[in-house]
Amino acid sequence: MTAEQPPALALRGLVKRFDAKTAVAGVDLTVPAGSFYGLLGPNGAGKTTTLSMAVGLLRPDAGGAWVLGHDVWADPVRAKQLLGVMPDGIRLFDRLSGAELLAYHGLLRGMDPAVVDQRAAELLDVLALADAGRTLVVDYSAGMKKKIGLACALLHGPRLLVLDEPFEAVDPVSAALIRDILARYVTGGGTVVFSSHVMEVVERLCSHVAILADGAIKRVGTLDEVRGEQTLEQVFVTVVGGRTATGEELAWLSR
Amino acid sequence: MAVAVTDAGSDVGAGRRVSAWHFVRLKLRVLGNNFRGQGWRVGLFAVGAAVGLWSAVFGFSLFAAPGLAGNDQYATLLAALGGGLLVLGWLLLPLIFFGVDETLDPARFALLPLPRRTLVTGLFAAALVSVPAVAGLLASSGLIFTAGIFGGWPAALTQAVGVLAGLLLCVAAARAITSAFATMLRSRRVRDLAAVLLAGAAALIAPVQLAAVAALRDTDWDRLAAVAAVVGWTPFGAPWTIGIEVAQGRVWAAPVKLLITAVTVVALLVWWSRSLESAMIGTASSGRTSTRSPATGTAVTQLFPRLLDWLPRGRFGALVAREARYWWRDARRRANLITLAVVGLFVPVMLNLGSASLTRGGGTPESSSPVLVTLSMVFVGVLAAATLANQFGFDGSAYAAHVVVGVPGAVELRARMAAFSLYLLPLVLVISGVLALLVLGQPGWIGLTAGSLLATFGAGLAVNTLLSVLGAYSLPETSNPFAMNSGAGVARSFLAILSMLASAVAVIPMVVAAALLGDVWLWLALPVGAAYGLGAALLGAYLAGDVLDRRQPELLATITARR
Repeated sequence: MTAEQPPALALRGLVKRFDAKTAVAGVDLTVPAGSFYGLLGPNGAGKTTTLSMAVGLLRPDAGGAWVLGHDVWADPVRAKQLLGVMPDGIRLFDRLSGAELLAYHGLLRGMDPAVVDQRAAELLDVLALADAGRTLVVDYSAGMKKKIGLACALLHGPRLLVLDEPFEAVDPVSAALIRDILARYVTGGGTVVFSSHVMEVVERLCSHVAILADGAIKRVGTLDEVRGEQTLEQVFVTVVGGRTATGEELAWLSR
Repeated sequence: MAVAVTDAGSDVGAGRRVSAWHFVRLKLRVLGNNFRGQGWRVGLFAVGAAVGLWSAVFGFSLFAAPGLAGNDQYATLLAALGGGLLVLGWLLLPLIFFGVDETLDPARFALLPLPRRTLVTGLFAAALVSVPAVAGLLASSGLIFTAGIFGGWPAALTQAVGVLAGLLLCVAAARAITSAFATMLRSRRVRDLAAVLLAGAAALIAPVQLAAVAALRDTDWDRLAAVAAVVGWTPFGAPWTIGIEVAQGRVWAAPVKLLITAVTVVALLVWWSRSLESAMIGTASSGRTSTRSPATGTAVTQLFPRLLDWLPRGRFGALVAREARYWWRDARRRANLITLAVVGLFVPVMLNLGSASLTRGGGTPESSSPVLVTLSMVFVGVLAAATLANQFGFDGSAYAAHVVVGVPGAVELRARMAAFSLYLLPLVLVISGVLALLVLGQPGWIGLTAGSLLATFGAGLAVNTLLSVLGAYSLPETSNPFAMNSGAGVARSFLAILSMLASAVAVIPMVVAAALLGDVWLWLALPVGAAYGLGAALLGAYLAGDVLDRRQPELLATITARR
């Protein structure tokens, strides 16, 4: 990080409590510009909560988030222009067709209609969604929904992409397509932050990794720094701490 | 190897029988868990319970009035007509205002090995556990009191049975009709049929309203009593009049009327179980045709409906276009729209027809008065605007897209108002035209009717927009457009009624002007009303937009359904 180049995403002391439960307990993270950043964690670790606070969807109880030096909560207009977001487990405006949805997002971002048309057509083509025609997004398959969500996040050419579980419920063909697009995006100078619990994808794609568990960062650094001599999965299981089956339980399942 | 497809000897899933009691306990548990750690929900529920209790006391005293007065002349009249209104209310109000509490969503039971009969009785039993049901039971207990005064213990006991049967009838009717309409509204082909049926249901208001007005005017009590005697033999009045029949010596009538009620309840439950099945297996996306047809035009031209081609191609235009599409494509919104159209047309027509025919019968040559016309228009305007009271709840978590982009609050609210008005303004014109031309026979009154309607609608938009930002709540993500979340429904309706009162208060100047200014007002009403409505709506969007800008993430959190 140099003085003239602020980090693509900086999180400082993020805290979020839901009732009595602390979902995120003070997360600090610095995502250098041009990196491909994987946020790893088991279910319920606070990945979605952290990313929601980073992009302005959920107000943190303490701490702040900066996108390329712009405070997400104090200067949201500028920060949100630089950001492309694909949330997980959140509905799209799914009573629109794919093309309608893209046009909607583009115009909401204040883009020129001609540019929206041209980019929407290209995105639908590349993501193999053009065949769907006037099918409403609500009738898309899970993989198609992920792809149209990604297209919405990419449409305005953001400098930082924040993706929550982009590879969840996606078939291998679509996953490969999404991987290629993201890799090209990073090569072209963009920054990607995404959450996942699929080690194999993270190991293949990421330059940097952070492991989140119980609402706190347990390991952080470049991929090689984090995994050292071991595989990423070994590190992950050690950090998170799980139990292994002994073969004694659930005996009634076999007969 | 031959594989047996059926396996009678398997012990998988064999266990104790599931009774209705399980469903009741499940519902209570879900309600309790909903309250956990959510102080405001407990508060809302308390408010709802208080309102329910208050109406129960009111109803009780009404039903007990003949007994208290010691005069059994009008006991049958009150029991039959009052009880009939109660049933009618249970039938229509869920459709028009409140929706039904789907704490136990039938679709959740689709995978469990439950016989249909167990499921229906279980869900029915669970539906009885609600504030309105308890309030209804308490209110109608007044009938037991009245029966006891006139007929002693036997009459009181009979009426107690009758009250219970009547409550079963009310709840079964509410469930059956909302479920049936939900099924119809899901498929495109019968959607128009549903609208027609709903019109028929709304038309039922007319005779009741006529009777009420007649009662108020203190004429023809005996003729009304004859009507009540007939109503007492229909399912609407049968369960409520059993006790008084016994008290007046017609013991044979009690079993017959109980039988009428029982047959109706069973029929309703059978009807409900039919539509329940289609709700469980989810025919939600059926009936949508031509989806695979290739798209024509660019993305932006596709977003804008052809009729709205003139909208600016920017943020405001896109919001209006998307909202306009949603009012038709989203089953929940469409249900609201159709109901509104029917009720908005029928209620003022009936109200003015009724009063016109009565005044004519009384010998006065004038028909409806400007004040009454204005009032009925106020009702329609307020009802229309109240549709937006939870407009963000319709979107659910999809609203996150607006938060991510950072849509300015005032732009968003203006666009939402504009899109809803695209549907409502033609309706307003039709309603005021029909009323002025056909009902009143006074073409010159179009200005008055349209002006009052526009003023109320605008003021209502302002109030409800603010409410939609501050008092939004999440709607369940089921295919039933009438479904409501958890037990807070009563309190939410209370909030909506408050907002309707507020919007009605906001247009008092229009009513006063109608009363004071006389003929000049017939000309001034349209321009003044339109300006008043527009001004109020814009002011509302400006004020509520400011609030929205500051609490976008909080709003998103409240409308995201908890999973």
